[in-house]
Amino acid sequence: MSALGRLKSWEGLLLALLVIIVAVNIEHSPYYLGVGNIVNLFQLSIEKIIVALIMTLVIINGEIDLSVASVMGLAACVLAWLFEMGTPMPLAIVGGLLAGLAAGLFNGFWVAYVGLPSLAVTLAGLIGYRGIARILVEDHPIGNFPEWFNLVGQQPLIGPVTVSIVIFALLFVIIAITLHSSALGRLVYVIGNNLQAARYSGIRVRLVKMTLFGASGTIAALAGILYAARLGSVRGDMAAGFELDIITIVLLGGVSIFGGSGNLAGVGLSILVILNLRNGMGLASITGNTQTSVIGALLILSVLVPNMAQTISNKWNGRET
Amino acid sequence: MNWLQRYVRPEQVRELSLLLLIIVAVIVFGSMIDNYYTSRTFNRIASSVAIITIVAVGQTLVVLTRNIDLSVGSIVGCTAYFTGTLLAQNNDLHPLLVVLAAVALGSVLGAINGVFVAWGRVPSIIVTLGTLAIYRGLLVDLSGAKTVTTDSLPSWLVDLPRVNLFAIGEFDFRAMFMLALMIVIIFQVGTSFLALGRRLYAIGSNPDAAKLIGLPIKRLVFLTFVLSGALSGLAGFVTLARFGNITVEAGRGLELEVVAAVVVGGVNIFGGSGTIMGAMLGAIMIGILEQSLFRLQISEFWRDALLGLLILLAVASDAVILQRLRSLWARADLKFIAKPPDDGPAPERRAPP
Amino acid sequence: MTESETAHAAGAASVRRAEDGRASVPVLEMRNIAKRFDATQALEDVSLTLYPGEIHALLGENGAGKSTLIKIMTGVHQPDRGEILLAGKPVTIRNAAESQRLGIAAIYQEPLLFPDLNVAENIFISHQDRGQVVGWREMFRDAEAILAKLGVALDVRSTARGLTLAAQQSVEIAKAISLNVKVLIMDEPTASLSAHEVAQLFKLVRDLSDQGVAILFVSHRMEEVFDIADKVTVFRDGQLISTRPRSEATPQNSITDMVGREMGLLQPRPPTPQGDLLLSVRGLGKEGVFEDVSFDLHRGEVLGFGGLIGAGRTDIGLALFGIEPATAGTIVLNGTEVTIRSPGESMGLGIAYVSEDRRQLGLSMPMSISANITLPTLRRYLNRFGLIRTAMERATAEAFRERLSIRTASVDLPVAKLSGGNQQKVMLSKWLNTKPSVLILDEPTRGIDVGAKAEVHTMIGELAAEGIGIILISSDLPEVLTMSDRLLVMREGRQMAIFDREDANQESVMTAAMGQEAASEGGVAA
Repeated sequence: MSALGRLKSWEGLLLALLVIIVAVNIEHSPYYLGVGNIVNLFQLSIEKIIVALIMTLVIINGEIDLSVASVMGLAACVLAWLFEMGTPMPLAIVGGLLAGLAAGLFNGFWVAYVGLPSLAVTLAGLIGYRGIARILVEDHPIGNFPEWFNLVGQQPLIGPVTVSIVIFALLFVIIAITLHSSALGRLVYVIGNNLQAARYSGIRVRLVKMTLFGASGTIAALAGILYAARLGSVRGDMAAGFELDIITIVLLGGVSIFGGSGNLAGVGLSILVILNLRNGMGLASITGNTQTSVIGALLILSVLVPNMAQTISNKWNGRET
Repeated sequence: MNWLQRYVRPEQVRELSLLLLIIVAVIVFGSMIDNYYTSRTFNRIASSVAIITIVAVGQTLVVLTRNIDLSVGSIVGCTAYFTGTLLAQNNDLHPLLVVLAAVALGSVLGAINGVFVAWGRVPSIIVTLGTLAIYRGLLVDLSGAKTVTTDSLPSWLVDLPRVNLFAIGEFDFRAMFMLALMIVIIFQVGTSFLALGRRLYAIGSNPDAAKLIGLPIKRLVFLTFVLSGALSGLAGFVTLARFGNITVEAGRGLELEVVAAVVVGGVNIFGGSGTIMGAMLGAIMIGILEQSLFRLQISEFWRDALLGLLILLAVASDAVILQRLRSLWARADLKFIAKPPDDGPAPERRAPP
Repeated sequence: MTESETAHAAGAASVRRAEDGRASVPVLEMRNIAKRFDATQALEDVSLTLYPGEIHALLGENGAGKSTLIKIMTGVHQPDRGEILLAGKPVTIRNAAESQRLGIAAIYQEPLLFPDLNVAENIFISHQDRGQVVGWREMFRDAEAILAKLGVALDVRSTARGLTLAAQQSVEIAKAISLNVKVLIMDEPTASLSAHEVAQLFKLVRDLSDQGVAILFVSHRMEEVFDIADKVTVFRDGQLISTRPRSEATPQNSITDMVGREMGLLQPRPPTPQGDLLLSVRGLGKEGVFEDVSFDLHRGEVLGFGGLIGAGRTDIGLALFGIEPATAGTIVLNGTEVTIRSPGESMGLGIAYVSEDRRQLGLSMPMSISANITLPTLRRYLNRFGLIRTAMERATAEAFRERLSIRTASVDLPVAKLSGGNQQKVMLSKWLNTKPSVLILDEPTRGIDVGAKAEVHTMIGELAAEGIGIILISSDLPEVLTMSDRLLVMREGRQMAIFDREDANQESVMTAAMGQEAASEGGVAA
């Protein structure tokens, strides 16, 4: 099947892109590949790439979760709100995670059991959860968290590698194993590429979808809490707009927006491409806004290019026969 | 029940219930807020609704064809800013030219969306999520993060929001609101009485059949994005007039309010049904909510939480409740058809029993 | 009927038309049309002539080539060979819009309307000449006029979404009439109509024919065909077998033409000794789909479900498998009454359903053969960490590859790479791996080549010999006749008969399936 061929060449394309970007960056800064810089590279976008991992599963399953950035904000705000009310920090963290789980399951309920399109449901979530987050913390930033919490965000754990990066690495492995070796991963693919066949095989499609949305909410909450720890304070609008980077990473990684295909290796490569690209643009003193524009363009291109390639190859084949 | 079913369609039930909801909201807020029933409240709501309504009209056209345009907020920001800059530099530009420039810029940005969706076959959510970021990024870069200030604008523009076209008692009908109303009427008429408008419904309603009968789907989808861009451009001009001070943040997040207005207004997110009038009602509902919560001194953030809930309920009611209503109507139809014709000519409509 | 007789009949018809003072020039002529899809020759050298004002019925089993012919007329498919003449002039029909412009319109069993547009708009949507401005008043008036002409009382202002199927069909007909069609194709238009609605439709069809419209009428209801048709043409296996004027055609000779194929290659499956009672179904029904179905299935028995597509056979399968649970009746499995509400429950009870639609409902095309085979039973392949034991999975796939001789380079290849027959074997493997006691096979040999078909047949025999109770749903009459121990025939959601093997033959089954009581011989009415 040509999808397989496309996938392979797509990863090749990403790898080539990565090599070029890294080469250009080294040109700009000879210390680019230093350990410190690489840690920094990951650290600056760590929350986004954590959420991109679970988003990969959601999109392969044929759905989308636009509410992740708002859930990140919600979890951080719930945590801050609980903390301000005098809740011990560990409990406040649990509270934040539970808020994320609840938000995810709420999305999942409407998608899996009521049958609404995830696009509409999570767009409502994007607005609504952000609203709740802001109601909780109002307009003022909340900080003064215990020292150990702030350290979670920045403290090197193994050598220069921070807690967040370790969490990312662990999650990457766990999700890679889940997607490619576990029963759940198998079902995610089957539902994504042929939901009816999954139903006709006795698979509990709704349960799988609920699980994924619940996991998406929980992991987004975890990322939001890590973000709060890294910044040392929480604001109502934190992580706003992150869904753009997250979805771009996943689609650039070769995951089909229509579900059913893609793999975590591609997403891993895409993470490296985006991180290095952002960093390189930073080195070249390109502003954050231009960077966002470039990410937006990448998002469109990551769907447009395969589409065009297919159109051209179809025309080519048509001419041959 | 028969006359009711004859004159009130399930689709209109949706709009009527929204109208009812608006009335209930006004009564509830009126009982909670002192001096609610005054011209001041009306005027405030009217001017805040104007911008959302104009953009929502374009969004409705897009959603009717089973697409979505998330880039409208950025287009509004771009046009407001660039038109403002243009005007600040040439204070004596003819007003009509200014409006045309805003609309033209919006159309170009909309056309870019349209090309990717119609001919690039990239899902509209992806394209416009991307251009949402790109247009905003371009705006910030090209502007150098400077601000358009009220003092730099000609006086006709600064005074525009307070221009009254006419007033009924204390209720002012201001230029901006009337402009929005005019747009609504034009597009309501266009979607009801032009073959072109009806074809948009056809595409969203059954894309396969639309293809089979040879409708130019790509061109029509492209057109809706251009129109959405053009109307966002117009809304950008209105934003400039209303606020005067335009930062690069202008219009940020507007797309969410607009999508909310459209969906709450009964435009089906799957395309094919809904009206421009409905979208306006949705915008009014949101305007009322916004102003009333403000007056109640409830955190403005409640608005977002409520918006999210409203969207969800609107989509769910389209999917679940309307289905039920329709089958109720259909059953009534069935009885009518099953009636053997030899009873004489079918009576026009029977009176309710 | 021989070639010359056919020609004579056609000539006679044209003479008759000429005597009526009507044009004797054919409105549409299809000459030597051939069309091939991959391995299937869908149409071979078919020539069909339509005269103005005639009602021409097409008969044939599913897959005989009727639909392909219609799709060529409406521009959906292009013929490989042959030519189409419209009023004597050769034409090419590239798409549906073009066929409409040429005056050919088709009405399908499932109307293709715009559910959100109102009735009047649906009628006039294809009219480019009504201008850019919609004159609603006129449009409603014109629509009402057309509907009134049809004798249909329908609110032209209501959306098509709410309409019953019959009403939607009326809208389709109104649409065709409004286009001033010369040829109207009706593909099983009566399938979902009540008797009263059919009567109304026929009045309409006759009116149209009086106005000179040629009507091509496809139906599986014999009595309807003989009620309305001027001419009857029978298709079988992609060929036009006969064209007879109404006066010479009878249900009997038509059925003979439809089924008269050589049984040659297919050897009847040796009967297996009947085992214990396995499954007993009484009064099974689902509202609006099928009703009052009762049968027994024994171990080692092949119970065939015959009839035409849409007769409700698949729906019984889906009810037993829990996809669309039944709403009435009892199911007794191994002496215990059971309720089945989901595929999971059904699988737990040892029931497996192999769908007729490999592509949409059966297989996950981009996934590997082994992943597809283990899908329903994935739980068995997990280690204690919940991970899939790929070696074990592959071993299972290899075992089935051997047993069913699935021809593939590796079980790790995506099933999309396999031929239809091998895909079917993967489907069978997938469900055999659930170790079912009741196996429901829905059209297991549709669209696969002769060799693979024979292999599947052998497989069915072996499985029955192992003691599995098999329900074989098939529209392939020789197949279902040779494979089944007993044969249940459905027609329009109702059980018509259960034949024992010795009573079942092509004529008796087809007669029951088409609702002809007269010719039934020895059939035991249920």
